[in-house]
Amino acid sequence: MRRIAIAPRPDWRERAEQAGFVFHTIDGAPYWDESAFYAFTLDEIEQGIEDPTAELHAMALDLVDEVVGSEQHMERLAIPEPFRDWIAASWRAREPHLYGRMDFAWNGIGPAKLLELNYDTPTSLYESAFFQWQWLDDQQRAGRLPVAADQYNSIHESLVEAFGTIAPSLPRPFLLSAVRESAEDQGTVMYLQECAQQAGIDCGLIAIEDIGVSADGHYTDLSDRTIGTLFKLYPLEDLMREDFARWLPTSGLRLIEPAWKAVLSNKGILPLLWEKHRGHPNLLAAEFDDGEGVLAAGWVRKPLHSREGANVTIALPDGRRLASEGPYNGPCIRQAFHPLAQFDGRHALLGSWVVGDRACGLGIREDASPITRDGACFVPHVILAEETGVLVA
Amino acid sequence: MTVPLLCTHGQTVRLAGKETMMKRSKTTALLLMGTAPLLLTACSEEESVREGLYTSVEACVEQTNDRYNCEQAFTSATRLAEAEGPRYASREECIAAHGADNCNEMRTSTGHSYFMPFMTGFLMAQLMRGGQPAGLASSPAYRSPNGTWQRPASAGGVYRAGMNGTTAMAPVNARPNAAPTVSRGGFGASSAGRGGSSSGG
Repeated sequence: MRRIAIAPRPDWRERAEQAGFVFHTIDGAPYWDESAFYAFTLDEIEQGIEDPTAELHAMALDLVDEVVGSEQHMERLAIPEPFRDWIAASWRAREPHLYGRMDFAWNGIGPAKLLELNYDTPTSLYESAFFQWQWLDDQQRAGRLPVAADQYNSIHESLVEAFGTIAPSLPRPFLLSAVRESAEDQGTVMYLQECAQQAGIDCGLIAIEDIGVSADGHYTDLSDRTIGTLFKLYPLEDLMREDFARWLPTSGLRLIEPAWKAVLSNKGILPLLWEKHRGHPNLLAAEFDDGEGVLAAGWVRKPLHSREGANVTIALPDGRRLASEGPYNGPCIRQAFHPLAQFDGRHALLGSWVVGDRACGLGIREDASPITRDGACFVPHVILAEETGVLVA
Repeated sequence: MTVPLLCTHGQTVRLAGKETMMKRSKTTALLLMGTAPLLLTACSEEESVREGLYTSVEACVEQTNDRYNCEQAFTSATRLAEAEGPRYASREECIAAHGADNCNEMRTSTGHSYFMPFMTGFLMAQLMRGGQPAGLASSPAYRSPNGTWQRPASAGGVYRAGMNGTTAMAPVNARPNAAPTVSRGGFGASSAGRGGSSSGG
């Protein structure tokens, strides 16, 4: 694993905007950064990331079965009581899931360590699946990267295949939804709509704020049609907290991600995984934590529901403490501290994508801070054979 | 209008030869997003897939004259059968799907018992590029009591089979121990916006 500088494509902003990537710069700060890339060998990708991802994914799904059958587990995960049967039923019906992202700390040496599962509303999908792919394609055409270079990224093909696979079972109409004002989330659902349509599924978009409910408790679109299936880029735990969710268990609305993903998008899954697979080389020690008291050195405290690195406290092994602010509170977990890879003074977080049940791609976020926040830059990657030199323009 | 989007490898299941398979999407056409012309790219090379269903390595060799690949395909199909073959919670369910005498009791590491059918055949698919073998894929195959053949739908698919007992199976249309069939992979002809150049790599 190396970090290598490369000339950005002179027209990358135009390329981005042509392809609907309007969030390449967020609040004036660059989000997409192609002034460098990460290079991996095929073995690093396959043995270091792909195989562990597939194994951890299978372990996580096996745990869902246990959790939904246990009132005690549901309680530890702080899943609201009125939704527990709904979640269990969605699992028993094996309502289809689409995707998820695992975050790893890894610098290419030893086993990659799982930091968390983003199995409900993973972001950076479009830039991982499409724009990173196009960057490599363009750089190869420009002669700045060897034609033999590859990328761990069959995310797009896998999404189209996954939509095609689950299409027959999805109640129609099928709508995709995100918060209206988020350019990033709107870009992501537009991309997913594109993937679904390429799989032959007729589908549309609706802002999550525009969803209605009928007198008899069905969720409806702007023309008052009952929505059959809703892809929602909106956290399940937030949905469940809102009054508007009270019809979810009885409305018959099919969700993607399905309700059972509430088990996996919850950081409580980390101590449960550790309890069941203690000592697994890709897992870090993790325990439930009441969120009170002084965190011992070498541990990280995270709320059960925290996204984009918010409300994380780190007690570094040397005793220094780092904390990020944010809106989340409530029950926590603590996880053994493991440093992110550091290259050129930046901290790299490896996002390993799973579509359906297939480990199929990688997206890397870089942050100046050891806590990866929503302002972290996306940096592309390639697979290079070890002996292949890199052509840098 | 139907637009061919992805160059596919036909019915190919997982390609065993690492060095012959790209780890990235063949193309990532976006038709709707943004304002760019269609980013359709063609598969740059003529590709085809040769596929056959065999009940033994010997039968495979007889049809293909290729003992090395037949043995490879058999070995990897056996491995896939263990990992991704159909699983049933009870012997009755297994027998209903696969016939009496075809079901084997297994145990998970935690002691749960389940049932798997014996693999009764294997599919061998060879990716041919410019007339040369460029990749090998295989899948376990199972004969149903009614004489039809099936393979785990997820062998190479995006959802795993046997997720806690529910196994999606896909029909196998090939006749057992017959000459391999050839199907074209890759639509290839359509390219727009990029002057028909390749998808690179």
